[in-house]
Amino acid sequence: MSRGRGAVDPKRVSSELFSLTYGCMVAQLLKDFENPEEVNKQLETMGYNIGVRLIDDFLAHTPSVTRCTTLEEVADILCKQGFKMFLGIVPEIKNWTAAKDEFSLVITENPLAEYVELPPNCQDTLWYSNIICGVIRGALEMVQMDVKCSFVGDTLRGNDSTEIRIKFVKILEDSLPAGED
Amino acid sequence: MAVCIAVLTKDNSPLYIASDPAEDGLKMHFLVHTSIDVIEEKLNSATAANDPRDLYLGQLYPNEDYRIYGYVTNTKIKIVVIESITNPLKDGDARQVFSKVHSGYISLVCNPFYSPGDTITSQPFLNTVTSLMRGKAIA
Repeated sequence: MSRGRGAVDPKRVSSELFSLTYGCMVAQLLKDFENPEEVNKQLETMGYNIGVRLIDDFLAHTPSVTRCTTLEEVADILCKQGFKMFLGIVPEIKNWTAAKDEFSLVITENPLAEYVELPPNCQDTLWYSNIICGVIRGALEMVQMDVKCSFVGDTLRGNDSTEIRIKFVKILEDSLPAGED
Repeated sequence: MAVCIAVLTKDNSPLYIASDPAEDGLKMHFLVHTSIDVIEEKLNSATAANDPRDLYLGQLYPNEDYRIYGYVTNTKIKIVVIESITNPLKDGDARQVFSKVHSGYISLVCNPFYSPGDTITSQPFLNTVTSLMRGKAIA
């Protein structure tokens, strides 16, 4: 797909277009399902499907990334390289549990949620950026890590910060990718 | 001091009208309504002398108590600002007010949950407009 203007890299789109597209998708999902909880699940599933494909792209473009031995390394690479590469942001890693198996990602500026205001009927139930949770879960599953990923706060909902909680469950051994069962 | 700011759609239905509580709300509504005619007239005749992009229409018509300014966007969204003659806005200031309202409107429209044509209930937009109206009182 070529574009007339030489200055624009044809593989990149403007972030506004991306935010608007994602916003329309969430609005359409809400209209179709009418239940914010259901929409959350759908966004997570969509994110999962994106994640299982995205991980290969990520690893291909970052040859410097080696096998991680601890969850801390995973968190570090996830934030400093993964998020940076695809969303252009670097979330903060916080709130490690004592057993180092759970941590929080705090996003200061969420490019997906630019200009968004949640309608009152889903103010308390919809996690607007839930697709991100799915992406993380899908991507880590393809590198044999089973994690639980969920939102605990969102500035769109009036919380202080947009925070995702990631909990390590187990290492997956010789299992088929989930979609091929 | 701006006593009223109104936003109208291309078929002239009101999206948002806010007036200073000290003023008679109904009278403001009426003034906005009458100014629609003047805007339409200017739009139909202005096509020949095409004003730069966002048609800032300037002062619409004289009135003994108020000055009424109009602004129309490329998508035919009309913004009307009414202010009392006791503290008239300079041309540059009026343009600023309009461009702030316009940016507020753009942010509103980018919200995927807002359909163009709905009345405006979004808090950030309301805050922008109230601060503009109050800001005039301080300036």
